[in-house]
Amino acid sequence: MSSETAALKVSNLSVSYGNVVAVHDATFTVAEGEACAITGPNGNGKSSILMGVTGMVRRRGTVEIFGTPAKNGDVRWAARHGLTLVPERRQLYPDLSAADNIILGCYAWTRSISKARKSGPFGKAIELFPELKPHLKQAAGTLSGGQQQMVAIARGLASDPKILAVDEPCLGLAEAIAKRVYDVLASIHEQGTTLIVVEEAPKRALTLCNRRVEVRNGMAGTP
Amino acid sequence: MKFGNLVIAGIVTGSIYATFAVCVSVWYRVSNILNLAVGDFAMAGALGVDNLYRVKGLPLPAAIAATLVVIAVFAYLYDQVVLRIAQDGPRRAEGIVVTFFFTFALSFFIDGVAKMLFGTDVHAAPALWAGQSLAFAGLHLERAGLLVLACAVIIGGAFWLYIRYTLGGKALEACGENPVGARIAGIDTRRYRRLIFVGTAVIAAVFGIVESPITGYTYLSGATISLTGFLAAAYGGFRKPGRALLAGLFIGILEALLGGYVSAEYGDTVLYAILAALVLAWPRGLGFESAVSG
Amino acid sequence: MMMPVLSAAPRARSLGPAALVVLVGAVIVLLYGQQYTGSVFVLSACYAIVTAGMAVQLGFSQQIAFSQSVFMGVGAYGVAMLNTHFNIPVLAATPIVMIGAALAALLLGSVVTRASGLALAVATLMLPLIAVGYVSSAAFLGGAVGAPLTGTLWPSSSTATIAVGGGLVVIVLLGVTMFVTSRILSSDIGLELFVLGVDERTAAAMGVRTPRRKLELFVLGCVFATLGGAVYAGTQQFVPETLVDPTAELALLIMLFIGGRRSILGAVVGALVIQYLQGASNWISVNILVVEGLLLTVVLLVDPEGLAGIVNTGLARLRARRGAAAPSGLPSGGLPSAGLPSAGLPSGEAGGPQAPSSEAGGPQTSYVAATGAGRGGADSAGRGPGAGAVSVAADGAGASATPLLECRGIGKEYGGLNVLHDVTLALPGRGLFGLCGPNGAGKSTLLNVIGGSVPPTRGQVLLHGEDITRKPPHERFYQGISRTFQAVHLVKGRTVLDNVAVSCLASHTSGIVTRIARSRLDEARDKAAQALRDLGMQRLADREVSSLTLENQRMVELARALAPGPRLLLLDEPASGLSEEQRRRLADLLRDLGNRTCVLLVEHDLDLVAEVSQRIFVLSGGRLVFDGGPSDFRSSPVVNSLLVGL
Repeated sequence: MSSETAALKVSNLSVSYGNVVAVHDATFTVAEGEACAITGPNGNGKSSILMGVTGMVRRRGTVEIFGTPAKNGDVRWAARHGLTLVPERRQLYPDLSAADNIILGCYAWTRSISKARKSGPFGKAIELFPELKPHLKQAAGTLSGGQQQMVAIARGLASDPKILAVDEPCLGLAEAIAKRVYDVLASIHEQGTTLIVVEEAPKRALTLCNRRVEVRNGMAGTP
Repeated sequence: MKFGNLVIAGIVTGSIYATFAVCVSVWYRVSNILNLAVGDFAMAGALGVDNLYRVKGLPLPAAIAATLVVIAVFAYLYDQVVLRIAQDGPRRAEGIVVTFFFTFALSFFIDGVAKMLFGTDVHAAPALWAGQSLAFAGLHLERAGLLVLACAVIIGGAFWLYIRYTLGGKALEACGENPVGARIAGIDTRRYRRLIFVGTAVIAAVFGIVESPITGYTYLSGATISLTGFLAAAYGGFRKPGRALLAGLFIGILEALLGGYVSAEYGDTVLYAILAALVLAWPRGLGFESAVSG
Repeated sequence: MMMPVLSAAPRARSLGPAALVVLVGAVIVLLYGQQYTGSVFVLSACYAIVTAGMAVQLGFSQQIAFSQSVFMGVGAYGVAMLNTHFNIPVLAATPIVMIGAALAALLLGSVVTRASGLALAVATLMLPLIAVGYVSSAAFLGGAVGAPLTGTLWPSSSTATIAVGGGLVVIVLLGVTMFVTSRILSSDIGLELFVLGVDERTAAAMGVRTPRRKLELFVLGCVFATLGGAVYAGTQQFVPETLVDPTAELALLIMLFIGGRRSILGAVVGALVIQYLQGASNWISVNILVVEGLLLTVVLLVDPEGLAGIVNTGLARLRARRGAAAPSGLPSGGLPSAGLPSAGLPSGEAGGPQAPSSEAGGPQTSYVAATGAGRGGADSAGRGPGAGAVSVAADGAGASATPLLECRGIGKEYGGLNVLHDVTLALPGRGLFGLCGPNGAGKSTLLNVIGGSVPPTRGQVLLHGEDITRKPPHERFYQGISRTFQAVHLVKGRTVLDNVAVSCLASHTSGIVTRIARSRLDEARDKAAQALRDLGMQRLADREVSSLTLENQRMVELARALAPGPRLLLLDEPASGLSEEQRRRLADLLRDLGNRTCVLLVEHDLDLVAEVSQRIFVLSGGRLVFDGGPSDFRSSPVVNSLLVGL
């Protein structure tokens, strides 16, 4: 597709849970600066691909992030090398404040809270969502679904990713909020971050993405 | 006056229960294991210092330091060997086996070793602040009791500052709130499991050293302390350190009052009956449901 | 994983280990009864009676209640008091105390067992604490000193006869205990207890009366603990206060978990080993705590199922090796991947060892038998004489009048969040209905509301015109609502046949005690075998479920839901994780089911739903946004924007 080094190169990726094979021999690449949609019916292994790629679950096959082979099962390694996941159902820390949720994204690259507070990525993540400003001290569990999704994306951005993988960002959100989330994703993409978006239905994803990987029965292909 | 003295005594024992309950629940949040051996670390601390100081003749600070180091190393090795195989290994055990029985075996083991090393008599670490109990307007407070309170406040305060003002502390919170979410942020939950286990073992030992001059310990004292800490943690729903702390204080004060006013003999019986009734009447309110499903 | 005690041929199997223990025990008592070794052995047999009861309650059913040491104390002190103060012989006092303890356990249990999980554990943890506090201060019980007995278990003037006679009585009682507990476990109720151990929700959905079973288990465990305590007092002639100590409870738990919590024989062996080590009077008995701690840690690290688990895994490996050497027997690995029948064909072979020539026996079970008879005969075939509790398929005929299922204005809130909003739908007695919607739309919640595991905040659920909104899941199950779960919930360690038999049990209304005399597991197994045959799965019947592929596990769940002949079948994403080929087979089967009963199918695969459903509902944000046939479904703009996204 492009001659430059791929941002993410996945070859023969397989993920299984016990004797259930969720992803079977998936191979695809995402070029730098691209916005790639991974689509397909639920339960077919889309999320498992992201889980395997980021190291949340053990995998077989190889994953290269900007040409460097990624360590299996090491999420922090992936985050430090630029790949961060914004997971399905957000996975926030409900009793922590929104600001604390976001700043924990910085844990990928620092252990110092003052360094994290002053850092560019954290500042940018906060700036991107002006509507979160009045709620930053509120416990994340008490926020609305849309605000929680924004916190999750902001946490992802705080880790200073070059590739941001977003899993079902509009799950359970009203149409207007979903559009806002996509606008933010578009602006993140414009600023040069490579995007991977998982959606069950390709329609919305294709408003943003210029490429699509279709997953069926744990196998990935390009339609 | 009697009431005041009972409350003071209750607060002292309650602060021990509270600290142990916080230790149990913080670690449970991170590891999903209930540490039933936390009291045994306290016992080991007290008897270890006593042995090194009184029998082996080490100076007190050296005895304390040596005991704490040994306990920390032991806790570290236990995590690295046993918990690692139990929780991360290919033949992972599940459910109650992991939740209760590994630390339960650990408790037996520590008690047995203590019996081997220190015998079966009642001993105590030397009083760190010897002297008459402090009296003020008819209220009495043992000096060791004051030290216990001070330790509880210092350790509690340090822990609070760690959670509130460091990224590591927030990461610890995140592990407890949502382990999956924590891993997504690149937080190593196993590291926190180890850190808190070793940390709580040392904290428990410190409390044992400070408190033992009041009550005196035998090699079997640990189980009782663990149990009360476990119960207080249970009333905090196992996952809420703040509530565990309050529950610990509450149980301590209730115990003292029942002992003073109801019956010295049957005070504990009544106490446990009340506690049992509370669980049965109000399981959801005490957070048991979420503790089970989470 | 499981002890062989639990597989087929229940009576013989439950008698085997018990008889073995009695024989070996009697020999030991006769040879060594008057020596120290013999007395240690008898003491450990007393404990073994207690741990055997614990294995049923704690090991299999996962009901953690710390009540055993207390009831052991009840037995011991009860016998001691009756003996010393009223001069009742120990052997006569024992049944009196057991009856009293059973009543007390019933009272206590009816309060305590309303809690579950950790709450149950914590509440019952207070019992030993209360008991020890009481006993150590109660003067008439001997306080901290303990209570002596004047009589002995086997009254005699010669000390030799006392020791040997008492020992033999204990051994016989241990044998009886093992026989009874094994009988319970190998009966139909035993199977219910296994399901209870998987989780209470699944058990309730399979018709298990969970509150009642939990109470029975509690009483059962207490009665055996009392018996153990009584013979302890009788043989030791002294009751120490430490018998009711919390550490005594912990010691019992250690015995159970070292031996293997899911094995009667293991529990007995655990008690023997620990008590023997304790009585060894050498370095080990002095440092018994260290030994116990190390032993428990090592055993659990090697196998969470304890010594019994280690032995069983070893035996299984040995058997596998021998099986590989002589490849004459069963087709070990080469089973068909699914073996679904093409719809409507009678299944050819009489498969599986449980299948006697009942092919000719015809409509003996529920409606699934109609597969062989052809669709037209479904109604009449359903009314077989054996159908008994579940003769339901025939009712579907009257569907035109009252709808089978009606949901009226169902609303559900979780913590202020509206998951379901005014959902109203009605289903007739027959047909296949799809329920679709994006993730988080409330599909599973609606299914749970219909199944009864989640109470709705608003609205009513009616089955055949009857309001069942407030009925618990197990009652809905008897009324003909059967379901599968999104994640597979099967009882690991049991065969496919037994897993299906769970839903065919006729034991729901009867108590544990009746099953010691007569197990009705075989009847349930016959029904289950029939259901498996109808799905063409008979060859899988004897496989252990966790060795199956996901597809077959799902098929086992489906067979389990189908076996009782439900009026309404709720399927939660049966196709997720299946391959294209497997989906096609599933579609054939679903179409066939829809002709015979009412099926509500929650599924993400729209092609599959559109292919098999006659009507499709679409939920979005908790509201019903579409309701129509498959062709409208395909062309609907709402559906396309929501689900297809084009």
